[in-house]
Order: sequence, then C-alpha cells, then structure tokens
Amino acid sequence: MPELNLVQAINQGLQQALEKDPKAMILGEDVGLNGGVFRVTEGLQKQFGKERVVDTPLAELGIVGTSVGLALYGMHPVCEIQFDGFLPSVMDQVICHMGRMRNRTKGRNSLPMVLRAPHGGLIHAPEHHSEAPEAYFTHTTGIKVVIPSTPEDAKGLIIAAINDPDPVVYFEPKRIYRVAKGEVPAKYYETPIGKARLAREGTDVTIIAWGAMVHTCLAAAEKLDADGISAEVLDLRTLSPLDLPAILASVEKTGRALIAHEAPNTGSWAAEISSLIHERAMLKLQAPVQRVGSWDIRQPLFKLERYYIPDADRVVNAAKKVLSF
Amino acid sequence: MPLKTVHEAKTQRLEILDPEGKVDAALRPSISKEKLLDIYRKMVEIRAFDDKAFKLQRQGRLGTYPQIFGQEATQIVPALCLEARDWLVPTYRGQGAYYARGMKLRQSLLYWGGDDRGARFDDNLNNLIFAVPVGSHMTQAAGLAWGAKVSKHDAVTLCYLGDGASSKGDFHEAMTFAGVLKLGLIMLIENNQYAISVPRAQQCAAETFAQKADGYGAFGIQVDGNDALALYKAVSEAVARGRKGEGPTVIEAVTYRLGHHTTADDATRYRSQAEVDEWKKRDPVVRLRKLLLAENALTEDSDKKLHAEAEVMVQAEVAAYEATPEPNPLDMFANNYAVAPWNLIEQRAEFEEILKDKQSRNEVFELPPVEGRFP
Repeated sequence: MPELNLVQAINQGLQQALEKDPKAMILGEDVGLNGGVFRVTEGLQKQFGKERVVDTPLAELGIVGTSVGLALYGMHPVCEIQFDGFLPSVMDQVICHMGRMRNRTKGRNSLPMVLRAPHGGLIHAPEHHSEAPEAYFTHTTGIKVVIPSTPEDAKGLIIAAINDPDPVVYFEPKRIYRVAKGEVPAKYYETPIGKARLAREGTDVTIIAWGAMVHTCLAAAEKLDADGISAEVLDLRTLSPLDLPAILASVEKTGRALIAHEAPNTGSWAAEISSLIHERAMLKLQAPVQRVGSWDIRQPLFKLERYYIPDADRVVNAAKKVLSF
Repeated sequence: MPLKTVHEAKTQRLEILDPEGKVDAALRPSISKEKLLDIYRKMVEIRAFDDKAFKLQRQGRLGTYPQIFGQEATQIVPALCLEARDWLVPTYRGQGAYYARGMKLRQSLLYWGGDDRGARFDDNLNNLIFAVPVGSHMTQAAGLAWGAKVSKHDAVTLCYLGDGASSKGDFHEAMTFAGVLKLGLIMLIENNQYAISVPRAQQCAAETFAQKADGYGAFGIQVDGNDALALYKAVSEAVARGRKGEGPTVIEAVTYRLGHHTTADDATRYRSQAEVDEWKKRDPVVRLRKLLLAENALTEDSDKKLHAEAEVMVQAEVAAYEATPEPNPLDMFANNYAVAPWNLIEQRAEFEEILKDKQSRNEVFELPPVEGRFP
C-alpha cells in the first residue's frame, strides 16, 4: 500500500468521492485554483472543473447556508471553512438549520452535506487559526462530528461523511497534516462513523483522545511505559455519536480513565465523556475520571501556545494522578 | 401605466496624481508641502518596514506576516486624515494605518511574532485591535460611530476592509445601521484585487464596490488607491461629512497587493508575473516621489537621506522587538476577566507548579516578572 500523509489521504478520498458521486461538489474559499490553503483540495478543480470545485466569495455564513440549499436540492456539498477560528460566524446555519432540518420538516428534507475545517494548534499560526471548537458542534443535535488521526481513517472518514445521509462536520487536525504518515488503501472505502479505534492496548489506565492529541497521548503512553505503567489509548475518530461501547469496554477493563483534548475543559466534550463514564461505569472505576485540556482562558498567541495546549507531560501527570488515587 | 424611474445612481472615480507624477490642478486638494512630505516619508518608512518584516519571517525571526507592499498609499493616507479623537478600525493588513496613527512598529513585530504584548496599544490612541476573522469588525466600527453620535462628539470612525470582506453579511449590517442612523462611518475598501487567491471578478458581480453605498443611502466613490492625493481628498471629504452628521461614506480604493497574501501564501500559483509587473508601473510611492521632486519639495539628496533615515528607524524597531524579553507564560492568565473566577485561580496555581517542574528539569529557564492584572 502507498504511504500518504493526512493531506494526501483526504485529497484522495475527496477525489474518489467526486469520481463516484456525480452530486458531490466542493466549495469554499481558495479551494479551487489554489487547492486550499493547506492544499487538501489540490488538483481537484483541474480534474473536475470549476462547477464542481468552486472558489466562493469570502463569506463563511454564505458558504454554509448555500451548502444547506444545495443539499436541499439534492446535491452533496462538501464545504470548507478555511480555519477553525472562522467557524463561529457559521453557527447560525449550523445550529439553527443544519442540525434541525430533518426534524423540523418531519423527515421530508435531509442534508447530506459535509462541513470540513482544520482543527487545533501548535503550528505557530496567527490568532484565530489554532482553535479546538468541537464542543460547539457536538453540543448541537442532528449533526455528526468526526476527526481522524491517521491517514487511513482520514480517507475513509471523508468518504463515509460524504455518503452519510446526515450533515457531518469533518475536522482535520492541522498539526499532523503532514507529519502523520501511514499506509492508505488505494481503493474507495469507508471508515465507519461512530466507531472508535484502539490506538494502543494497555491494562492500567485508559487515555481517551481525538485528532492530533492522539499522538500526544501515544507519546505519553511511551513515557508511562518507561515507568512501568501500561496505558491504553482510545482514538475516538467520531465525537458524535460517541462509540460508548468502546469507551466503556476499555474503562471497565482498566478501571481508570482520563480524557485529553485541546479545548478548555469547561463545558467541553471531555466533560460529556467523563459524565457518561461516571453514569454508566461508576462501580468499575478505581478513581474519578480526569480531564486534561487547555486552560479556561483565551488562547494566547503562538509564543505561549505550548503552555496552553496540553503536552505529553500533562497527560503523564494526569495518568499518575488517576493511578495514585 | 408606464414604468417610472424611481431611482438612478452613478458612481464616480477620482484620480488626481497619475503614475507619471502629473497632477490634475483643478482637483488637487489643499495640502501643505510639509504634510505631503510627511505622507511620503511614512510611505517610504512602511515600505522599508514591510520589506524587513518579510525577510525576518523568512529567516525564522517572525511568524506569519501579511505584507502591505503596493498598498502604502491606502494604508498611510486615510489614517492621516483623522484627528486623535477619531477611531481607526483596521484590518489585519493594517500595520501601515497603525503606524500613521502613531503606533510604534515594534508593536506589529511583537504581534506577528506571536507575542500578545504587541496588541497592548497606548491608552491615548483610538486604534482598535484588528479582527482576524475577516469582516467581523465592521459592525463594531458602526457601533463606535454610533457611540460618538450618541455622545454628541464630532468624532468619526474609519473602518478598513478588503474586497473580500465586502462579501460578508457584516458589511450589509454595518452599512444598514450606519445609513439609517446617519453615522460618521467611513468604510474604506482596499480593493487589492485578491482575497488570497480569489480574484476581484469572482468576489462581486457589480462593476464597482463603491456603488454598494447606494443600497444604504450612503455616499460612495471610487478612487485610484495608488494616488495619495485622490485618497487624501476623498477621505478628508468623507471625514467632513461624517463630522457634520451627514452620514456614512463608502470609498473603494483600487489598488494591488504586490506581495503574497501572507508569508504562508504563494501568489505565483494564481496570478501572472505580467499582471504584477503591470501594477508595479502604478506604484504609489514612486508617483508621489515624482511629484515632490518636480515641485522641489524633495531633492535627490534629501530623498536619499529620507530613505537612509527610514532604514535606521526600521532597524531600531527590529532591535527593540528582538530585545524584548520572552513573556512570562503566567501572563496568559491575566486580563481574562476584570476579576478572575475560581477556576482560573486554581488553574493558574496548577500551571505555576508545572512551570516550576519544567524549570527544575531545565526545560524552562529564568522567567521575567509576571505582567498583567490577576486575579
């Protein structure tokens, strides 16, 4: 199998989806001629033309709103919002319409659309280019939220997202766009939405993570291993709907869990997962579940972002805290 | 019944100083030699700074940086038409406008160097921190202009935006408020022909951006954005209208971004060198220089001296930027609230322990004193 990085894997998934699905189209700022600012859509306008890979005017809310309309008409739009920090302006469409259309119309209309956006920090980017806004989306009913951490899943999840009958928000961990490399099947395939991946087996503590943080946690697991602690790392891949059976199976095995993520803890998706574990597996727990997130402050500019987003040491410390309870 | 015309509109374009340095005497605004020389000096200085900042980024001494190369006139001139009591609301490509309003260039270097202290402006400057999410500042600018009106001040607000930002709903909302409330708001559209890679023709189907004003009962005009005199006249007149309570103005300044969108961009992917060369012939700095030389406000020698002084000033700003000690990481907890709540107090204490641990393992070295208000 050929080895691809995350950008190449998403690109290949999009390319195969556009080939297979005549209703699929891509729209967003700079996605056509420029191939996207991260080059995720590189070459697609050349192959599929300007009507299917569209450079839109600069209007994020318009990009998502017209995607809703395109999907209502029967198209399968894959729209891109260029940076995570530009997502707040589209929430009007996401919350009030994308997530509700099926239910509001009593099943008459559905929105088979995908909203792609880069996710996360630590690439020395400017302000509003490094954020982890997943909780705003996972809090919203009616939409699914996925985030891969490996090239193989990146390709399979984008294809699954495009084929899904409901709107899917597809986050791309930009820190590992080029450093996450791996073998990717050349064929057209789906990675199932709603299924977590066991990234590392262990027996003493479960570390739950998603996106780039999976790699931080794998590094933390190596450090823990050196101290004789066997950590299991669960890569959620889908944030909503959660793979609760996989979470509970691991936590019931180890009896101890922590959730590591890039967003601030307060009101985070980690808080929801922690709550579910306590509600469903209380008697199997040896210690309260810990959350390792960014601080509850505005994300600083890049000189200090490594102190804001959790590093492997903070994950190690939290694991030791859980184990010494 | 026959159709009646209920509305007709026309949009004018203002040009005063052409690329050869020839000036239209009838349209020329009243402006002293000293002021014109000041405009020229600041344009030269910001070009020297821009070039230096670009090189610093390439050398790894600065983060992502948005060049203003080619837009020196639109950056410097409008900001110089304001009084201290007026508000400036720039875009992220606004270092020139900030500089014209008295901000030191080291601030811009700190900000684009990833240091939050770069955005701590002097209290006596009515300059708003720019918004990175494009266009989200426009309704705020209308709010500032509204505040002046409610307070019965004759201050105006100058809001910069790009051709791209004019596509956002925020533009419509800002202009709707400004028109209805007759606010002293000047929307200066720096039409630099590209929103990253997307060309102006794909941004808006109307012939001009200036004509958008008509939809809000505002005055609109297009100017040659590389013409310092045309900008001066158009903005000064808009400021006067705003002060008199005659409502908002949209000025479309037609210019060109000669550099990349930012240092993270490669403009050769989406536009030709021939196009760039064509615009280089309309350079805003060169034509003002020609005028000043022709009118003996500048000599070859004084121009050389002025350029040398600009280099010295820029070097001093770079030196001040690079001599700034690293921020104390604890600073990020300051100023999130007027009074920090319990969770921040707890988390800061936890982070202080983490820092001590990192120091004990030599991962973090000596830290400067903590800055900012906490709790």
